[in-house]
Amino acid sequence: MKMQRRDFLRAGLVAAGGVMAGAAATNSLEAGEVADGTKAPATLALTADGDLVVSSALGAAHTKPTSDEVRRGVPGRRWVMVIDLAACDGCGKCTKACAKSHFVPSDREFIRVFSMEDSSSSAPYWFPRPCFHCDNPPCTRVCPVGATFKRQDGIVLIDNERCIGCRFCMAACPFSARVFNWSRPDNPPEAVARGYSPEWGYPRRVGTVEKCDFCADMAREGKLPHCAAQCPMAAIWFGDENEDAVTNGKGDTVRLSALLRDRGAFRYLEELGTQPRVHYLPPDNRRYPAPGEPGANTGHQTRGAEQQ
Amino acid sequence: MSAMPLPHFQIEAVAPFHAPPQARPTAADVEHDLLATLDPLGGRGRVWIASLLAICAVGFIAWIYQLRYGLAVTAMRNYVSWGVYMTNFVFFIGISHAGTLISAILRVTDAGWRRPITRMAEAITVIALLIGASSVMIDMGRPDRLLNLIIHGRLQSPILWDLVSVTTYLTGSFLYLYVAMIPDMPILAQRARERNRSPKLVRLYELLSLGYRETPAHRRILARALGAMAVIIIPVAISVHTVVSWVFGMTLRPGWHSTIFGPYFVVGAIFSGTAGIITAMVIFRRAYHLERYLLPEHFHKLAKILLVLSLLYGYFTLSEYLTAWYGGLQSDSRLLGLLAGNTAFGRSFWLWAIFGLFVPIGLLLFPSHRSVRSIMIASVLINIGMWWKRFLIVVPTLETPFIPAQAAGIAPRYFPSPVECLITAGAFAGFLLLFTLFSRLFPILSIWETVEDAEEVKVPARTHAFAGAGRAHSRLSSATLGIVLLVCGVAAAAPLSAARAQTAQTAQTAQTAQTAQIAPITPIAQGKPVIVLTRTTEDKQEMLVAKITANGLPVKGATVAFSVKRAFGLMTLGEDQTLDDGTAAVKFPTALPGDAKGELTFRVALRAPPELDGSATDIKLAGAPARPWTSIPPRALWSSRVPLAIPATIAFLLLCVWSTYAFVVTQLATLHNLKEEN
Repeated sequence: MKMQRRDFLRAGLVAAGGVMAGAAATNSLEAGEVADGTKAPATLALTADGDLVVSSALGAAHTKPTSDEVRRGVPGRRWVMVIDLAACDGCGKCTKACAKSHFVPSDREFIRVFSMEDSSSSAPYWFPRPCFHCDNPPCTRVCPVGATFKRQDGIVLIDNERCIGCRFCMAACPFSARVFNWSRPDNPPEAVARGYSPEWGYPRRVGTVEKCDFCADMAREGKLPHCAAQCPMAAIWFGDENEDAVTNGKGDTVRLSALLRDRGAFRYLEELGTQPRVHYLPPDNRRYPAPGEPGANTGHQTRGAEQQ
Repeated sequence: MSAMPLPHFQIEAVAPFHAPPQARPTAADVEHDLLATLDPLGGRGRVWIASLLAICAVGFIAWIYQLRYGLAVTAMRNYVSWGVYMTNFVFFIGISHAGTLISAILRVTDAGWRRPITRMAEAITVIALLIGASSVMIDMGRPDRLLNLIIHGRLQSPILWDLVSVTTYLTGSFLYLYVAMIPDMPILAQRARERNRSPKLVRLYELLSLGYRETPAHRRILARALGAMAVIIIPVAISVHTVVSWVFGMTLRPGWHSTIFGPYFVVGAIFSGTAGIITAMVIFRRAYHLERYLLPEHFHKLAKILLVLSLLYGYFTLSEYLTAWYGGLQSDSRLLGLLAGNTAFGRSFWLWAIFGLFVPIGLLLFPSHRSVRSIMIASVLINIGMWWKRFLIVVPTLETPFIPAQAAGIAPRYFPSPVECLITAGAFAGFLLLFTLFSRLFPILSIWETVEDAEEVKVPARTHAFAGAGRAHSRLSSATLGIVLLVCGVAAAAPLSAARAQTAQTAQTAQTAQTAQIAPITPIAQGKPVIVLTRTTEDKQEMLVAKITANGLPVKGATVAFSVKRAFGLMTLGEDQTLDDGTAAVKFPTALPGDAKGELTFRVALRAPPELDGSATDIKLAGAPARPWTSIPPRALWSSRVPLAIPATIAFLLLCVWSTYAFVVTQLATLHNLKEEN
């Protein structure tokens, strides 16, 4: 185990060195990022037993999943999310928690809370929309380079070290879940220090696509995604379909199959055939003011206004 | 002589179409007149080239600026993520179909009047393809990673299909353009020598001539190569624009996900390509004084084709939008509200319908009113209109996503930024510049074919020296038809998705009571309670039974909380009080999948009495078997493993096309060797 990690770190360093050398020599796009990288408070150190570790200002030594692990997913798992529309009050804390933990710039949201009204005769409701991590993902079908990929644990991720920025996946996603780094990103030191992995998606790079990653790194460690963990209404359930259980931010764990059956769950735009991994519980018997009602939250307006 | 065209030009009065033919130019006239187009430029020509260079330079600087600051300098954003660059891509690839229609189809059908037009058409194809391909690269967020398309290319992606078909088309168009230029090369070399032009230029022409001379053997080989190219380039061209349409058609977006998109785009491409060639003919005719060669007759015949294509395009447009309107799907209605309603897009759509379609049709419809001028006006209107129509295909759909952005307080709006406008201007200037430079190096009208045209009138017997180009490969034509059908069928043939490897969950077999190891977590003061967990069947009901003992005696009246561990927490199963025998029970969670070994980890916690509170034990019992999981994804469109039908289809099509190219190259080699033998 130790050998593996050592080998991995060594390989990673060699790869990083190669990338930096190549970038410095040939690639003006990367050059800016390398310059950012040098500002990072990350240092390399040899531990007493000879392990080479990367330490950062945060004081944590990070072990990154290997690229093979990143592409395969967590063995045995099929991550799944259930969003209770009857419990969501549109406060937007999921969006904020997600933005904070992923250092999401203000022009985009990975989980966006829409204020929906299906028709004039139906009641309005709040509709948080993360990436659906579809089992038949249209975005992943069209990617020309395999930069976005579907893992066997269900998660759809993006490798921004491979993405060519054609934005075909953005056009292909019917749910507008994908966003793009239009300008050179302003990566905070913490983001740079951790180093890149598709499982957390930062430090971000200009000209690449990104989106909600189901907090793949958190799930790997047995922790709920930030949106679920910090939802004050405990409206977001997350779990492993293979375990037939989901857990919400209050720590309640229930059987997934029973929850979906008893509450009449549905998947958004099921007719498109994308087979989302996010289920919704219908907004019946709500315990909150609906959009537009007195005392209702303002949802999306809690985040920075998007440019378009 | 040879004043180059300026943005504003006039068409002089032309002879009525049905007027008796003027004195047809002789072969000597043709050679003289067409070579004269290569004479040094006048002042206006130099200004023209200098202006184009300047616009290109500005466009290039804008692109560098865009590379430096990212695509944020465009007006594209997360909702409208494609804009004028994609519009330019579709437009230029469309224009490139000029060559296919005029030179290939007319050559295969042996339409003699094509001859003065072929060179121009073939040149448009190559140049438009180069500009079209650049437009995609300009649109890319990471053009520096272009090679990833080869290193990591996924054959499921229509972009890979685009890459393959555009590369194939570009190669074929280059080859086709070149093969048809070979007989002119000795003439050009001769002239360059006579005029004491740079030896390098003479050498270039000589090299390109492959030692071609006007002998029956040379002619026969050339005819064979040309015939093969003319046939194969047609399905390749159709495939290219079909695949371009699939970049939109393969998404689930309203307005894009349409089965007629392939043919709709192909018709649109030939439509705008034909208008493009007419526009080019007008310009070159004026600039190079080619009125003796580009006759009203040529315009008239192209006008008929253009009329048919405009009616066809109108028909496709009607089919596309009427079906969407009538069907009334919510997503389609939202798009149509934007596209045909009283919005900026809607008004521009109707403007397009009037000035990009109905007015050109009106101008082209009546033979008595057709003139070079009216045909030219129709063509220019069509060219402008078709660029805008492509914009209307790309942008409004992106402004009307399934989940309305308005529901998040966002109104997606797109209007190209200055950088996008400059780069677009640069792309158009680059197209015109390359075209102009081409016409400086090679005569824009094919000398040998025009000579043939001239001789056809005088000596009908020799007419068909080259007719073989069309006929020698009539056998190939039927094969081509098959290929055309195959190309169009690529998407249909591809399996929609591979079967997902999900076997039904097997029902758990009844199990006998099982004792598990005990692992107390918290030792308690008054003797450690021992918890034994079993699974039993009572009255056909599976039960989870915990027996609590302390110091060897059963504990009565203790509250036991049962839960089972899941990935993110404990799933509560229930609570029960122990009976006299120290047992407490809850329903067993049947069919709950266990871990990799099929085991469930239960937590049994004691809540009461107080002295036992906090005591908890994790115990593993057999549950339902773990659901099957493999790290290898199935073969699917979304997977890293491609459904085999896709590479098989692509390989078959490529084999057909590239083997034809190889045949043509061997013919050229034969041509080259003939020289050495003599």
